[in-house]
Amino acid sequence: MIKRFLSFEWKQFSRSSYFKKGIAIKIVMALAVLYFAGMALLFGGALYFILKKTLPEIDPMTTVNSYLLYWFLFDFMLRYFMQQLPVMNVKPLMSIPVKRNTVIYYLLGKTSLSFFNILPLFIVVPFTTVLVFQGYPVLQVLSWFVSFVAITLSINFLNFLVNKNNLVFYVVLALVAVLGVLEYYAIYKISEPVGYAFNYMYAHPYLVVLPVLVLVALFKATFQFIKKGFYLDDAISKKVKEVNSSDLSWLNRFGAVAPFLKNDIKLIVRNVRPRQVMMMSFMFLFYGLVFYTQETYREMPAILAFASMFITGGFLMTFGQHVPSWDSEYYKLLMSQNIPYKTYLESKWYLMVVAVLFSFILSTPYIYFGWDIFGMIAAGAVFNIGLNSFLTLFGGALNRVPIELNVKAKAFSNTNGFNPTQLLIALPKFLLPMLIFYVPYKLINFNAGLIALALVGVLGIALKPYIFKLIEQVYQKGKYKTIAAFSEKQ
Amino acid sequence: MIKTVNLTKKYNDVTVLNIEQIEIPKGQSFGLVGNNGAGKTTYFSLLLDLIQPSSGYIENNGVLVHESEDWKPFTSSFIDESFLIGYLTAEEYFYFIGDLRHQSRADVDELLSQFEDFFNGEILKQKKYLRDLSKGNQKKAGIVAALIGNPEVIILDEPFANLDPTTQIRLKQIIKELAKTKGVTVLISSHDLMHVTDVCERIVVLEKGEVIKDLETSPATLKELEAHFSGLASTEKMADLE
Repeated sequence: MIKRFLSFEWKQFSRSSYFKKGIAIKIVMALAVLYFAGMALLFGGALYFILKKTLPEIDPMTTVNSYLLYWFLFDFMLRYFMQQLPVMNVKPLMSIPVKRNTVIYYLLGKTSLSFFNILPLFIVVPFTTVLVFQGYPVLQVLSWFVSFVAITLSINFLNFLVNKNNLVFYVVLALVAVLGVLEYYAIYKISEPVGYAFNYMYAHPYLVVLPVLVLVALFKATFQFIKKGFYLDDAISKKVKEVNSSDLSWLNRFGAVAPFLKNDIKLIVRNVRPRQVMMMSFMFLFYGLVFYTQETYREMPAILAFASMFITGGFLMTFGQHVPSWDSEYYKLLMSQNIPYKTYLESKWYLMVVAVLFSFILSTPYIYFGWDIFGMIAAGAVFNIGLNSFLTLFGGALNRVPIELNVKAKAFSNTNGFNPTQLLIALPKFLLPMLIFYVPYKLINFNAGLIALALVGVLGIALKPYIFKLIEQVYQKGKYKTIAAFSEKQ
Repeated sequence: MIKTVNLTKKYNDVTVLNIEQIEIPKGQSFGLVGNNGAGKTTYFSLLLDLIQPSSGYIENNGVLVHESEDWKPFTSSFIDESFLIGYLTAEEYFYFIGDLRHQSRADVDELLSQFEDFFNGEILKQKKYLRDLSKGNQKKAGIVAALIGNPEVIILDEPFANLDPTTQIRLKQIIKELAKTKGVTVLISSHDLMHVTDVCERIVVLEKGEVIKDLETSPATLKELEAHFSGLASTEKMADLE
């Protein structure tokens, strides 16, 4: 039976629509996978030597052990966001004679082979190999390795049990934040006792049974958990969520675009996938922390211009790039209803503009890094509104991948919006602001760069009616293709 | 009202629809029947400009459907679930359609009040999103939404499928009334010969994309249709035997 399941799995994979994309994408994807795997391998191999060099007085193993906790917490959070719990279409299996346990074992086996469990191996295997070659006791290293894998798999099953429970997630998030701050300001270093525990385990190889026992317990618990939920009731009677309706009539002041704006807000609030994107776009706000804190980037204002644009452009880019796709589930309705294309597109534009303004307000704390930086963010925001928003809408016209609204995005198997045209459209979004800033900056001064950036934005806003006409034409031209693509079942 | 001329639709050189001429006068209730793959949904999709004709054209009230959008204000339709917005409640959906068709909330409410029977208490005030309603109830919501805004042309694909018997009967009354008293041109397709003969003044039979019968409905129509389709079944059997 397991063999049969595997063949189904293969068919599902090889016949899925995203796989039928052009050979070019497949090559790019394969290269990307190879690249990341290679980087991980390289990092794993070099980790020992890096630590040895930077902290020569401490055993690299000890350093690794003391930060292991953060690795696992991070792993947990990443999984929470990205890991798709294994879904198997169990309904057709219920009425035919297949042992329930077989199906569950298969499901659990499938999660164990998830990307999130494989990736750490790419780092840990070379790391442990290096350790062994460096003369570390084989038994100890091996038991450490087994413990690591056991804990990783435990997190895998834990994630299953937590099952996207928001409360647990926020508790973990808060924990990480608090511990991180305490650690950073050296008030209380949680990494010390935990590191000590890991070191102790490393020193006493027989303790490897502990994580393994935890793993077994979690496996059993997950097994029971699934078994309990394995009834037709659950498959047939979907969980029906109570509606949280809110009065959005204040949006009516936007006139013709109001019905769409109201709809878009409901779209974001009530569906899993847009909510996910929303969260992602929130992360963009912190982009500046990466760049502004580094002295090296201070000397490269073009890079800073790029980062500043990202801070306010998170929603614009993540939400905007899927613009017609968000409505893919009912696109036929929109196309046959009494709607001018222009109004529809305009409402999306307003939404993006509001998001940029909102992010801009939220970005005021960046004044801490100086008015120069904040001026840059402001110029970036104007540029986002005046040019990037249009580029994004324009790119959307070429994006014909339907989106299932209420289904979480699958990590790394989701190529929505990933196609060469999309990439080509995305490039100017990044390169243009850098260029527009850099040329006047080099020729005149910093402020000239800012003004140039803002001016381009203002120009875009002034030319809006004209630009919209162009965008509308592109959408109109691709209408039939888009309808056909959206009505394809995924 | 609706004029179809030399309309063909081809997919990779396979002709799926080939209609020389159909003219549907205003206020007619028009039924389309045919087996799977006969081209019913293709024809409706062409009527709504969801696909492009390979040749020929459809004129809706003098508007060339594939060239202008001006047919949209007076045409409404429900083809399948992709005409519903899953994350809205039924009310929100009706008001949204109302907004698009320039109907105030009060207008929509008034229209909805006429369909309380039809909804059978399962659509309004349910605190449920449309995606969580049963197939039949989704259909009810979609059909009623197609009536919002006094359209002159209403296109319904398989409106009777998935509905319970009571609702089917109510729907038949609604459609008849629309065509008779309000002068609305109603186009429906169905697999149920009895329902179409009941509701439609005129029935066109499609087979492999071509019109093979165009009947004015009379008491004998149902018999004729039944004879035709059972004849199809027996000729296919003959072909298989050979």
